[in-house]
Amino acid sequence: MKIDQSINYLVSGLERSGTSMMMQILAAGGIPIAYSESRPADEHNPKGYYELEGGKIINTLMQGRFPFEKYKGQFIKITAYGLLYLPQEKFKIIYMERNLDEVLDSMEKMARIKDQDREETKQSFRKLNEKIKKELQTKQNIDMLRINYNDLLKDATTHIHNICRFIGPYHFDTQKMVDVVDTQLYRQRRQ
Amino acid sequence: MTKEKDEKKGTTITIPTQLAEKIQQRIKGTEFASVSAYVSYVLSEVLSGLEEESGEEFSKEDEERVKDRLRSLGYLD
Repeated sequence: MKIDQSINYLVSGLERSGTSMMMQILAAGGIPIAYSESRPADEHNPKGYYELEGGKIINTLMQGRFPFEKYKGQFIKITAYGLLYLPQEKFKIIYMERNLDEVLDSMEKMARIKDQDREETKQSFRKLNEKIKKELQTKQNIDMLRINYNDLLKDATTHIHNICRFIGPYHFDTQKMVDVVDTQLYRQRRQ
Repeated sequence: MTKEKDEKKGTTITIPTQLAEKIQQRIKGTEFASVSAYVSYVLSEVLSGLEEESGEEFSKEDEERVKDRLRSLGYLD
């Protein structure tokens, strides 16, 4: 059984919102994913980034030369800003959301910076997130499933089943998918 | 106005039949394939306008701030 070969499948969301973990979950479930090893795992993403083009896929999208045709029928990761440059083709998108303060904490840690304009940065990313969700949800060529990272960690089984239903008929290994939800990755949790 | 969950695409909105009939007449011969498509378009435009008025739009300044952060994270040249 194959997933629909006429569709481009994406994992998206703001950077540091759990997109890499979602790619790991899909891979564990036996779902076809595509990525390159050009950006190796590190302390920020110990299980890997699961990205194409060394994480610089947004550059290629902005130039309108990303070969979507080559990746139909498999998931690739394109973070939120890159979605502003999607062509008018059919997409199924799993869109990750996460507490914005956690996202920014993680970004600052990864970039080794202390943002002096944190509130302004937060508002800019919040607006980007809202823009993406609003624009894509009304497009007829795009199906989007929003998954909250924090909720996923609390109840993996329910969300994994929603993800499988969204993708469509396939031989999923749901237990392996659930197993990926590793609470040790949730290092910056704020409660 | 009532609304209920739609399995595939978010939410179904119920509007008065008379209004739906008016929209049906209005979209004849236009690019809108259905009443739903027209209503979605109009509501998106209205909300965009309201967000612009309240400073909620993703501005060029916001975009530059996001791009700066993406560069610092290695996601953008």
